[in-house]
Amino acid sequence: MTGAGFMIDLNRCVGCGACVLACRLENSWGSGNPWRRVLPLNLRRHPGGPTYFLSVACHHCEEPACLKACPSAAYEKRADGIVVHRDERCLGCRYCEMACPFGAPRFDPALAIVTKCDFCRSRVNRGERPACVAACPTEALRERAPEPPGGGRASVPGFVDPAGCRPSIRFGVPRSGRRAALLAAAEEALAAAGRRRAARGDV
Amino acid sequence: MPPVRRTVRTVCPRNCYCSCGMLVTVEGGRIVRIEGDPKNPATGGHVCLKGLSYARRISTDQRILTPLRRTRGGTFERVAWEAALTDIAERLDRLRRELGPEAILYYEASGSHGALGRLAVAFWRQFGGCTLTYGDLCWPAGLEATRLTYGLNHHNHPRLTRRSRFILLWGHNPAETNVHQMRLILEAQEAGARVALIDPRATDTSDACNLHVKPRPGTDAALALGLARVIVDANLHDRAFLDRHAAGVEPFLERLREYPADRVAAITGIDAAAIRDLAREYAATKPALLIAGFGLQRHHRAGQTMRAVALLPALTGNVGVEGGGWQYANLASHVLRDPPLPPEPPAGRRAIPISRLGPAVREAVSPRIAGMWIEKGNPASQNPRSGVVKDAIRALDLVVAVDQFHTDTTALAHYVLPAKSMFEEEDLVTAYWHPYLQLRAKIFESPGEVKTETEIWRLLGDRFGFDTGCFPTDTRELLRTMLPGDGAALLEALAEGPVDPSGLGDVAFADGRFPTASGRVEFSSAEAARLWGVDPVPEYAALAEGHESPLAGRFPLQLLTCKTRERIHSQFGNLDWVRDVERPHVLDIHPDDARPRGLREGSRAAVWNERGRIEVTVRVDHGIRPGVVHILEGRCHQLDPEVNLLTGAGVTDMNHGATFYECLVEVARA
Repeated sequence: MTGAGFMIDLNRCVGCGACVLACRLENSWGSGNPWRRVLPLNLRRHPGGPTYFLSVACHHCEEPACLKACPSAAYEKRADGIVVHRDERCLGCRYCEMACPFGAPRFDPALAIVTKCDFCRSRVNRGERPACVAACPTEALRERAPEPPGGGRASVPGFVDPAGCRPSIRFGVPRSGRRAALLAAAEEALAAAGRRRAARGDV
Repeated sequence: MPPVRRTVRTVCPRNCYCSCGMLVTVEGGRIVRIEGDPKNPATGGHVCLKGLSYARRISTDQRILTPLRRTRGGTFERVAWEAALTDIAERLDRLRRELGPEAILYYEASGSHGALGRLAVAFWRQFGGCTLTYGDLCWPAGLEATRLTYGLNHHNHPRLTRRSRFILLWGHNPAETNVHQMRLILEAQEAGARVALIDPRATDTSDACNLHVKPRPGTDAALALGLARVIVDANLHDRAFLDRHAAGVEPFLERLREYPADRVAAITGIDAAAIRDLAREYAATKPALLIAGFGLQRHHRAGQTMRAVALLPALTGNVGVEGGGWQYANLASHVLRDPPLPPEPPAGRRAIPISRLGPAVREAVSPRIAGMWIEKGNPASQNPRSGVVKDAIRALDLVVAVDQFHTDTTALAHYVLPAKSMFEEEDLVTAYWHPYLQLRAKIFESPGEVKTETEIWRLLGDRFGFDTGCFPTDTRELLRTMLPGDGAALLEALAEGPVDPSGLGDVAFADGRFPTASGRVEFSSAEAARLWGVDPVPEYAALAEGHESPLAGRFPLQLLTCKTRERIHSQFGNLDWVRDVERPHVLDIHPDDARPRGLREGSRAAVWNERGRIEVTVRVDHGIRPGVVHILEGRCHQLDPEVNLLTGAGVTDMNHGATFYECLVEVARA
């Protein structure tokens, strides 16, 4: 496998949270430093945009900010794409925590080091799927397919790459129902806002 | 040597649609992995977050591990089983001698499904009887409506959902309450099906739907009859099906004359055009599946409402069809026989309605209710009028609660006895969405001083000199006797995976046989009139506590108290793993209702009616129907709002259900 990363189908994800619990059971993290979270977007259901759920963990970026920010070379981008944090090298300095725009590495006070999702590398090494992927009841969460053709988009409303990290996550977009209709409306609004900025000469 | 790992097949016994088959991997006395059992075709290789949280549930230090006795100061102290059971037995015996056996109320709820729960009866029969509850807080009106209409609570195998071309979800929220069904619905939708939802609230399900109409709560019967009227007027009903399989169609068609779309629009608050569109699309797209939830039958008019809704699949010829059908509850797995029980005592039998628990306990005379034994339940927070329930329990001479964790109910008990977990006793578990009977495995010995309920009954029975042969130590042998047919063979099959024991087949009513009085689908039911005193043909009537009632002048908002993914009633919310991911229990209120009351996102609001008052944080919800507010039910944490202080202790028109959703309130800044 190359280019390890997650693919979340926003048409299938109903925000059930099984991925988070499966991750916690597999990786034994505590309340303060979840390796995976489900972010419900627009839960107040404002008609200006879709309500959907981003199940996010470490994005195993192509240009990992954590790796660049680490003074002790605790991070490693494996050939298969997994960004591994080598606990034994971690100073607990939390530089990576500040650098990562996605909040993936988090300081664990009990261990006095940073920890994060390692794509369940011990499971993957055994030929199993990451715990979150295996647990997903609607099969919305998957390993990202190799590209091309791959499929999925690198960005959706509510998710941007602000630091040039090239996160490996891909999104399947809503294809039906209210969610799809509102996604189209939100994307049109975003595009229009972009055109207005360009017309004003904003960066 | 690596530690020994073993994987055991079992089943989740919670009161939930899914009854997930589970594979639990244990290492060093700890659960290290929980997966779905791929041999259960309905739930597949997955469980939900609650199922995954069992790893935490059995390891948390919140578990009650010894008998506890309440002190005068109101705290609990550890007490030995011997002392606890001796004192409980003496006090039960004294109440029996002074007042009679019916002075004791045996209360059980739905906290843990398992056939062995029935053994409690063996104790109470030998006790000379007791007071029991009748009815059910959840779903009975819909069950009875379905039985009266189709003769049987059965529906198509879940996997056939994929064959549907149109799926109508009525008062149902599978994204939050049956995630495995939601997957099937999404698969059908991806294959081209359209999905419509009827629900006053926006939910995680509504986001995925192609169509969503939001009727006023309690008006579903009018909506169903209005849809039927449009279908018949457009000649989209299935005359051939009706001719062959229906009875009472003429009076039903006559009834439909009262429900033109304009009148139905005025009742339900849905545009007449939307009613016509929905009716035509449902009737014209084949096969169409109608899935009803439990919420739309939680009011006085529940049975007649559910009969009206349940007739739509028959009217359109969607019964007995792959990908079609009426889905409410599937009791195909409910085939278990009673264990060997002592005979019923000639006297000493009394029952009170469960939905009126609080008032009924207070009002009981000859004898008064003086003691209560509570298992698998938390009535102090979960039953309607919980304030009255709590006052009634507090006034009792003896309260024994059996539970794994402290609840609002154990706080009122004189004795709390530690309950086993699902992993500590083998049992048989039925389901109500899929047709599978499943075997729950014993994986661990009980921790601490925990005893199974079977053993508690045996030890208590010993003190009374009862025949305790009813409470065997050989659980497997007892389970064998409860299975139909060749119990030993079935038990062996169950060890290998879920079994549909019904012989009913995957397509409900495919043979066109309906075990009703007429042998047909009953559009008019003399039995309904005889048993429940209702009109033989379903009709709409306004709720006593609804949007049209005089009370709405003072309490103009209809409060719904629905379920969501993280809890089964008051279970699971005590666990940090669950609390870390759950959404807070807030008041969902539409901006049009929030604004004039000066409420904003995050405001503290007071919610009250004549029954009670609570405070809760506001979430402004653009998706909920104006005039409707919502707070999640399921209180298992001191921070959760006590919603059942507000709900009414009414009884449904059929089958003794509860009326949680017939609840008017007013809201203001706290």
